[in-house]
Amino acid sequence: MRRLLAAAALLAAAQAPFAQTWPSKPVKLVAPYAAGGPVDVSARILAARLQESLGQPVVVENKPGAGGNLGAYFVAKSAPDGYTLVMGAIATHAINPSLMANVPYDPIKDFRHVALVVQVPNVLVINADVPARTVKELIAYARERPGRLDFASGSTGSTGHLAGELFKTMTGTYMVHIPYKGSAPAVTDLLAGRVHLMFDNLASALPNIKAAKLRALAVTTTLRSSFLPDLPTLDESGLKGFDMTTWWGVMAPGKTPQAVVERLNAEIFRAIEAPEVKERLRAMGSEPGAVRTPEQFTAFVGAERALYARLVRQSGAKPD
Amino acid sequence: MDLINNLMLGFTVALSPFNMLMCLVGVFLGTLIGVLPGVGPVATIAMLLPVTFNLSPIAALIMLAGIYYGAQYGGSTTAILVNIPGESSSVVTCLDGYQMARQGRAGPALAVAALASFFAGCVSTLIVAAFAPPLAEVALKFGPSEYFSLMVLGLVSAVVLAHGSILKAIAMVILGLLLGLVGTDVNSGVLRYAFGISELSDGIGFVTVAMGMFGLAEIVMNLEHTGEVREVFTDKKLHLWPSKEDFRRSIAPTLRGTFLGSALGILPGGGALLASFGAYTLEKKVSKYKHEFGKGAVEGVAAPESANNAGAQTSFIPLLTLGIPSNAVMALMIGAMMIQGIAPGPQVMTEKPQLFWGMIASMWVGNLMLIILNLPLIGMWVKLLTVPYRVLYPSILVFMVIGVYSLSNNPFDCFLMALFGVFGYICVKLECEPAPLILGFILGPLMEENLRRAMLLSRGDPLVFFQKPISAGFLIAAMILLVIIALPAIRKKREEAFVEA
Repeated sequence: MRRLLAAAALLAAAQAPFAQTWPSKPVKLVAPYAAGGPVDVSARILAARLQESLGQPVVVENKPGAGGNLGAYFVAKSAPDGYTLVMGAIATHAINPSLMANVPYDPIKDFRHVALVVQVPNVLVINADVPARTVKELIAYARERPGRLDFASGSTGSTGHLAGELFKTMTGTYMVHIPYKGSAPAVTDLLAGRVHLMFDNLASALPNIKAAKLRALAVTTTLRSSFLPDLPTLDESGLKGFDMTTWWGVMAPGKTPQAVVERLNAEIFRAIEAPEVKERLRAMGSEPGAVRTPEQFTAFVGAERALYARLVRQSGAKPD
Repeated sequence: MDLINNLMLGFTVALSPFNMLMCLVGVFLGTLIGVLPGVGPVATIAMLLPVTFNLSPIAALIMLAGIYYGAQYGGSTTAILVNIPGESSSVVTCLDGYQMARQGRAGPALAVAALASFFAGCVSTLIVAAFAPPLAEVALKFGPSEYFSLMVLGLVSAVVLAHGSILKAIAMVILGLLLGLVGTDVNSGVLRYAFGISELSDGIGFVTVAMGMFGLAEIVMNLEHTGEVREVFTDKKLHLWPSKEDFRRSIAPTLRGTFLGSALGILPGGGALLASFGAYTLEKKVSKYKHEFGKGAVEGVAAPESANNAGAQTSFIPLLTLGIPSNAVMALMIGAMMIQGIAPGPQVMTEKPQLFWGMIASMWVGNLMLIILNLPLIGMWVKLLTVPYRVLYPSILVFMVIGVYSLSNNPFDCFLMALFGVFGYICVKLECEPAPLILGFILGPLMEENLRRAMLLSRGDPLVFFQKPISAGFLIAAMILLVIIALPAIRKKREEAFVEA
């Protein structure tokens, strides 16, 4: 017992200087998705800036697979020394644990939630030929045609799918979900009028909204988007409490020392608030994050986890 | 005369010294990663993305586009020299290109591939410049039912690809389809054939299968022979340049390949994948030298090479006009554009004409650079084949493993490639060809996805495939092709029956 105590004391003593010397070698930032997607791109934007302030290279490594779970799990079981981080996202940390069987990590306990980096609203867009100018008109139009309207999404269990299911529940309409492999083919069919509506992420829908090829009716967040300030929220349009945002941020293994987490949090916010990084993230449709401290971020992830557990159950998206 | 004015504008942008330098850097890097088996343009472009932050948007896009079509060029080099397709588009080039190399005609094969690609690149760039907006509408005409029927046609032609037993070819296609089912079902999210291995939940990667079945199997095959096979490669009368006969025979296939490739490249939902397969099948049906296909026919290199390069260029049409990426590389280009503050989509052409036309003009410049870069390299590549086996093959193996590992930074993919290597070797021994399997593997998931989506949209009515004219046309063409394939076999059976009677 005494020996154990001594070891613990030694460990505590070792930790303080460890935090001061961190980082003394390159830091790995795992993007749990394929190279080139929005999570990967923002990880690379952040890493380029972060390595200047940390004085060590920050290397982005893609570990795609199982909807992001492979990469997240890899980091969850990595050494908690602050040298292996992950860009954890709404899928890996809020949706998948409810949607998929056998997710091998606990999204809350196995991670330190360091800093929320990107928040992108979804936007309800309809094909320009659908005769609805407002959410109210769309609801009326859908009620007259039960089971005849189609809504597209980038995949089963994506925010776009779950937003559609929530919309159906809240409005008492019935529409058919058409899943695609990613947002791009779904937008193609929406443009061609083969499907009627979609809850697409703002960045991917914006060009076609601006070109008037698609009509935007509302954003899914409770705050209006700075990109389309005239566009109402679903909450304003009568669907009280409708609030969904796609997000991702930096996370570390669960036992990472507090000092390292705090230093990282400070450096990440310094990076994403630097004008050129801010501008690039904004170009991806990102609004400034609502939470700042690691503790707020953990609470945020917990709330999201609870929300999507409910939405996934209601939507029937989970395969049996 | 708008077109000429626009192209003039484009060339003033593309020919500025710095943009030319970026174009050169792009095509050089592209050729390099194309030659390295497994290392694809997606990973390269992703890694270079932060570097492009400090460039002007047009310089960045010129460089990234250069990497993309440069890799298409380079990919055929390994396909011809060592039977390793780095990209789905170079699988078909393996069939006759590698056979040409085995006959000591690697030089002519490489030269024909480069020249056919150059020609196709030039023509399809013009097509992009002249017809991009109207062609974008064509892309929108293709919905799930049209794609499904197109894939059916593609699959039926897969049987034509084989030059041995039709039965074996069909079996390989079906096996490919089954392999393509591994992973998460798009509609229900159910895991299929994953055996609890989470690495399999996104399906099996194309590169993993292709490198195992073609590359690894080929290396193992070569290890069976000792010494004498090498002489085939290092034949004394090694040609570097295609003969007059080669040129004559390549002209028509290149033209047909270019137009087929340009047409299929416009379709964002996997059309470009079909380009090289389609062009090869077409040649095999119309050529006077049918019997030479699979044994080193120069048409079998010229047609798919021109088609895949043409398809690579025209796949920019949905990107530039609709903001829709047709493959992973195009998705990355959208990422790059967004970081630069450009929202890709219909307004790019009107709001940023310099960017749009500059990029188109740079593709032409890039193609010219590629040919200047690649033709002198042919001599060097051919010399590479004289490197002794015991040095050449271990190094290829190392590059393959690195390439496959880099796909998702996971050793699992390397083991999977090894498994497919063993399987590929067994197939060679059983005289089952890998090409139909690969095509089934590529088309299967796309076909299933579109079939089920079309059925969802029609609320379960299968007649939808015949009600849409484009879709019905493909299905009729597939049926005609099926009859053409089946006829000789049926006739033979009948003759046999008569002989016995």
